[in-house]
Amino acid sequence: METKKPGWLEERLGLSGFREKFLQKAFPVHPSFFLGEIALFSFVILVITGIYLAFSYEPSAQIVSGDGQSLPAAYHSVIGIDKQPFGLIVRQVHHWSAHLMIAAVLLHLLRVFFTGAFRKPREINWFVGCLLLFLTIFAAFSGYLLPYDAFSVTATGIGYGMVVSIPWIGPMLANFVFAGKFPVLGTIPRFYGYHVMLIPLLLLGLMALHLIVMIKQKHTEPGYNRGKVAPGQLLGIPLWPQQATLMLELFLLMTAGLLLLASAFPVHPVELYGTPGPQTPSVKPDWYLLWVYGLLKLIPGWMEGELWGAMINPEVIGGVILPGLIILIIFLVPVFARAKSPQHYMEPLSQRPVRTAMGIGALAFFLTLSAAGYEDTLGISINVFRLAAFAVPILVGLGAYLSARLVQGLMMKPREQTHKPTDSQTLEAQLRQRSSGR
Amino acid sequence: MSPEQERPDSTPRMGRRTLMRWFLGIGAMSSVAALASVLGTVKPPQAEQGDQEIKSGDLLTFALGTNKGDTIERSSILPGQAALAFPKSKEIQDNLIMVFHLNTGDLIPPTRLDWAPEGFVAYSAICTHLGCTVNFSHDPMEGAPYPHIHCPCHAGLYNPQAGAKVVGGPPPRPLPQLPLTINAKGELVADGPFEEPVGVLQGGR
Repeated sequence: METKKPGWLEERLGLSGFREKFLQKAFPVHPSFFLGEIALFSFVILVITGIYLAFSYEPSAQIVSGDGQSLPAAYHSVIGIDKQPFGLIVRQVHHWSAHLMIAAVLLHLLRVFFTGAFRKPREINWFVGCLLLFLTIFAAFSGYLLPYDAFSVTATGIGYGMVVSIPWIGPMLANFVFAGKFPVLGTIPRFYGYHVMLIPLLLLGLMALHLIVMIKQKHTEPGYNRGKVAPGQLLGIPLWPQQATLMLELFLLMTAGLLLLASAFPVHPVELYGTPGPQTPSVKPDWYLLWVYGLLKLIPGWMEGELWGAMINPEVIGGVILPGLIILIIFLVPVFARAKSPQHYMEPLSQRPVRTAMGIGALAFFLTLSAAGYEDTLGISINVFRLAAFAVPILVGLGAYLSARLVQGLMMKPREQTHKPTDSQTLEAQLRQRSSGR
Repeated sequence: MSPEQERPDSTPRMGRRTLMRWFLGIGAMSSVAALASVLGTVKPPQAEQGDQEIKSGDLLTFALGTNKGDTIERSSILPGQAALAFPKSKEIQDNLIMVFHLNTGDLIPPTRLDWAPEGFVAYSAICTHLGCTVNFSHDPMEGAPYPHIHCPCHAGLYNPQAGAKVVGGPPPRPLPQLPLTINAKGELVADGPFEEPVGVLQGGR
């Protein structure tokens, strides 16, 4: 019997072990499992377009003269990027990718929450994932300042106000984070450092950890796979070549989609916002921060108190304490909903009425707060939103609970009848054959 | 007989592993301390600014528009109007002032009437909520009398006739009033610094 001569790389690196271990990793086939990949690929596109932008961007708020005007150097360089043959579209793709990444991370979190995929043994990846979400939003926020237009300076100024208002430690913390009293020359270099070095490196490290833990623990599986393969086995397609092909297709589709968005729907037109001046433009934050914006509007001026010699003001309550508490609750979700034994299957929404109600209620809460940010445009009194912030989540949550119980009641009988044990051995064997038969 | 052999289990007081752990811990802690002290000394670039505090005798100049930098006179602001101003050559954001020309009869406490000659009254233009620049609103707004000051960021409302006290929204404190006089040439002049802190209350104090 003749054995195939090992290839050039195989001879030197001995990759067969790696191939067997990682390239055969099974991926469940379900559309909702692409959300994490969309976030990852958005990050890749952000890095590629970001490097292009960094080649021409000047991180400085020094006033320079250009085009017969006095402009901040950063603003001047962004206008310069927009004038390069592909500059504007690359900058727009960068901005759109940031939106897509945050949206994908949020939907990923919702999918994991509603299907109970955060429970034992996957608590670690919930914590890592929450840090990834937090860092992604901070990456976007730090990027906002960089063009140094009127919008940028307003948004960062509000961020500065929120940090500096923190009792006792606020001034010290703000002085470090913003490199002085914003607006000040030191802020852009520091934010540039966060945006292009610190946060991407942290994101990269945490993403690697997220993926390693996922490979070690295996994916959760759709509930309908239950009983089809032996316990500890996962029904799905191997990474190479099936899943890799899907990934490449997804990446190309995303690139095409982002280019389409960037060319058809301009975002963050720096020329329109203009250079920062003494006046504050009437702007709203991006969609993912609207809830904090709404919260800041809802907290009335009289809501304040003194604690150990420092004032707890409405800006601290609306901008720091409440958002901090909400983020903490989200972070600690696996602590509230524990499982005794390791879980492998996604749970349908109807199976966990309380969790479903909490999740839908939380979504309604965030949407109500975001809508409160538009109280002036909608022409609805802020007092209505103060009431709605309590009433809407409770009512929607209650509705979700009742619907889940209703569906549960309807589903119970048929499921019991059709549940048949499947010959797991056969299917497993077929799967093995499929993945190794080339 | 050596002292070790006298002890029943003959184990040393500190094993190699324990010693290495101590070394590692001390090494890690001093590295973190060194990094923290290096980071603590990072100083941002500072523009040369000099003394920017508003003083008695500072002329007020327009902060915006075609007459930006011109001194504001009695006749520059029509009755019922307002303008954004800086103290001359001290144009930092925290010194931004909104000057109103109102009817003397409409001004009520807590406005300091001795700081408001001939109905000219000046307030800090920096919102006490999160430091945005406020606007003089000509539109009537829910819960706010006309005229009122409106913050475009989180819809804070102040009443310029009543010492810029908060009449709506999240701001915790009124806008500080600037002592104002009118000199012999009819120019608006600051008569001292703000007596209350401007903008966001830093660290709650």
